[in-house]
Amino acid sequence: PSFVSPAADPAVISPQDPTLLIGSSLVATCTVSPDFHLKAEDLYWTLNGRRLPAASYAALGPTTLSVALARLNGSKQQSGDNLVCHSRDGGILAGSCLYVGLPPEKPVNITCWSKNMKDLTCKWAPGTEGETFLHTNYTLKYKLRWYGRDNTCQEYHTAGPYSCHIPKDLALFTPYEIWVEASNRLGVAVSDVVMLDILDVVTTDPPSDVHVSRVGDLEDQLSVRWSSPPALKDFLFQAKYQIQYRVEDSSEWKVVDDVGNQTSCRLAGLRPGTVYFVQVRCNPFGIYGSKKAGIWSDWSNPTAASTPRSERAAGGCDPKGGEQNTTLRRELKQFFGWVKKHAYGCSNLGIKLYDQWRVWLQKSHKTRNQV
Amino acid sequence: GDSWGIFTFLCAALCNLPALPALNCTEELGAGQSIQKTYDLTRYLEHQLRTLAGTYLNYLGPPFNEPDFNPPRLARVERVPSATVDLDLWRGLTDNARLAANYRAYSRLLCYLRALDGQAGTAELRHRLGHFCSSLQGLVLSIAGVMSSLGYPLPAGPPAPPGTPVASNDFLKKMDDFWLLKELQTWLWRSAKDFNRLKKKVPPAVVTLRLEARGF
Repeated sequence: PSFVSPAADPAVISPQDPTLLIGSSLVATCTVSPDFHLKAEDLYWTLNGRRLPAASYAALGPTTLSVALARLNGSKQQSGDNLVCHSRDGGILAGSCLYVGLPPEKPVNITCWSKNMKDLTCKWAPGTEGETFLHTNYTLKYKLRWYGRDNTCQEYHTAGPYSCHIPKDLALFTPYEIWVEASNRLGVAVSDVVMLDILDVVTTDPPSDVHVSRVGDLEDQLSVRWSSPPALKDFLFQAKYQIQYRVEDSSEWKVVDDVGNQTSCRLAGLRPGTVYFVQVRCNPFGIYGSKKAGIWSDWSNPTAASTPRSERAAGGCDPKGGEQNTTLRRELKQFFGWVKKHAYGCSNLGIKLYDQWRVWLQKSHKTRNQV
Repeated sequence: GDSWGIFTFLCAALCNLPALPALNCTEELGAGQSIQKTYDLTRYLEHQLRTLAGTYLNYLGPPFNEPDFNPPRLARVERVPSATVDLDLWRGLTDNARLAANYRAYSRLLCYLRALDGQAGTAELRHRLGHFCSSLQGLVLSIAGVMSSLGYPLPAGPPAPPGTPVASNDFLKKMDDFWLLKELQTWLWRSAKDFNRLKKKVPPAVVTLRLEARGF
């Protein structure tokens, strides 16, 4: 059963809640209030719940007991080590929180990006080691290079624990100086200053409405279509795209780099009857006419599609050797005959038409075989 | 299911309106359903508190997270409403008085919880605390709803602002935090019993079917 103690504090510890460097030593004293009728020999100390050896105690007066702590390790918890003065029966008379640690190191690796030139998000890493044993506060600051005023970023942890987001009032075409200050009870450390122009670190949303579909009955192709990110319309930048795709049970992505600024692409050389995952991303470039590229967006959510599987048995009906030439010639003849019938002028002659013919051919081949 | 969760969220969201929204929230529910929801919410908070307290006490460090830890309570900082009242005395109160005591206690406990060290601790701890405060706010509104559905007046005015002095050193603050969590635990444990008993006193509501149809 807990007891409610009288108005005065039972005892006073000195120093109360000190901050110390790792490896330092400390002598703490506990002085009992006269109301309590306790003597120095009735007291003992614990640190984080563990009793400290009596050999480290010394009575400095009838009601004062000291303890010597040497070569302190970093605090066990960031709220401070609990140094407690007890009466003989275990009751707590007073306590002091010891903050033992290291001053912060310079934050490093500051990287920033702007979403559609509207805002700026920066992230950084704490200095080497990182573990200071003390709670460390990070503040991101920025200012226009040519004007004096420092600004402080307010929205933290938007992109991980060491990040901050500046949502508005950013100027374009002019450099900013950005830095991070780390501070804890033992000191402050300031990162190197990073200088950038918002327009050099622009990224955008990934493309939307990514659709992957088969190309007729073609077994080795898939067609990918997407919409450009909406911000493209609002800003004077063009977009270039990149596609990556992989087979369902593989972790190796194949990247298609030369997509340019089209919003569709055909993947070829694929395996028949296989499920593929496809993603697209976007890079805004040519911002206000510059030749510089921006930062690639995130990949779009993966879209899946499968290539058709041929229904002919493997190694079944493929014509062999010399027969191939005759087959090819016959096919070409049939093709041109078909073209005459279905193509009105040469302008319509293209790969799409060829595909349509191949599809038609496969279908009619099937029915011929079934007969 | 998650119906009380939705209920809590709605009440917490509505809390930002100036008028007392609980009346709109529970009028259609009927006393029986209202009490059941409050009971469920109390049990949920009890469960949530176990995890939250565990994490927070680990943050405070030993001996605070040791199972039998029992520090003295300092009279001068009698800020946290104590749940350790004589049980017969408690049972002897009218339903109205008991509900009002619950309402006032949780309102104050919520204030103190919100003031818990917002800066320090891990992001996970801050997140858990935030979530718990939202749920606790839901409980306060839920109790108000029960009182109004039973025709009891709500205790007057907002809870008295914590005019009592803040702990004078970091260790005393840790002890205050410990007792806050402990009292909260006891209150929730006892409230669950209170609402369970109250549920049996109030006849089952006719509106039960109507609620089922709403998929609540």
